[in-house]
Amino acid sequence: MKRKYVGAIVGLVLMFAIGLVGFYVFSATSGDGLESTMEENGVSEGEPVWSAPLDYGDDYGGSLVMGIVGFFLILSLMLGLYLRARSRKRSKQSN
Amino acid sequence: MHIPDGLMDPVVLIIGWLLALPVIAYAIVKVDKTIDEKKVPFMAILAAGIFIAQMLNFPVGGGTTGHLIGATLAVILLGVYGSVVIMTVILTIQCLVFGDGGITALGLNLLNMAVIAPFAAAAVLLLFKGRAKNASTFSAAWLAVFMAATACALQLSMSFDLSNGEYGIEGIIAIPTMLAWHALIGVGEGIITTGIVAFLAKVSPETLKMQLGRPDDMEPMAAEVTV
Repeated sequence: MKRKYVGAIVGLVLMFAIGLVGFYVFSATSGDGLESTMEENGVSEGEPVWSAPLDYGDDYGGSLVMGIVGFFLILSLMLGLYLRARSRKRSKQSN
Repeated sequence: MHIPDGLMDPVVLIIGWLLALPVIAYAIVKVDKTIDEKKVPFMAILAAGIFIAQMLNFPVGGGTTGHLIGATLAVILLGVYGSVVIMTVILTIQCLVFGDGGITALGLNLLNMAVIAPFAAAAVLLLFKGRAKNASTFSAAWLAVFMAATACALQLSMSFDLSNGEYGIEGIIAIPTMLAWHALIGVGEGIITTGIVAFLAKVSPETLKMQLGRPDDMEPMAAEVTV
């Protein structure tokens, strides 16, 4: 991978680590716009149909690790999907 | 704005899937046909970056927070179909791996944030035709959030009406509340998106040689975008 991409990845993870401090100082205990709308109207979330294997963590360290896990998961998935599509395309062209 | 399980009427959930899937399928085909291979690592890093940015909620007052959706940023950098594809990947991972947004509501979440938000942003960028870069970026980001929230509010209202109050929230309450909160959250989205685009214009202008206002393909525009 090119150096500029490695730099971008390191930069984004560092910015996330810093931004997460702000999140835990100012926002962690508050809901988003939809959650506030639900709360104001006494509507609670239903039981989840699917039990996800991970969550975003409930403290700085946990969220940092989960954010990095998600970051690399999406990065790998996007690259993997692309490589698969490319090899499929190339095998079609060679046939 | 990730809709959880158990909030919407099943009919509304099905409508969400039916509207979102064809657009996503079309976007995948378009991207697959037109993407420049060199752009793929950038696209992957952008998707991963939007994922972590979505974890960083910011306060908007009244004990409410908002977070970046990122659809407008992706439209500016990749075009509308690229934005649809990466928002779909992000929302699917958030749902399946992190439990953010219900699996039954994934169709609606995709419709709101991976379809409506990118197309709303692209419509604004098309209107500006590359003029007034900061204003167009801010307006596109704000409208993307506002339109996604409007769709979500209508879905809440429709769910309430269809289920006689078992699901959703009454429209007369849901619509103004959702729109008021997301008008504020949209300002945050606008500021962050405009800031990132301005920053990229300075440090990596080649990433902005793409289509402000060309939602119909992923070819670079002749004019470079400078903010």
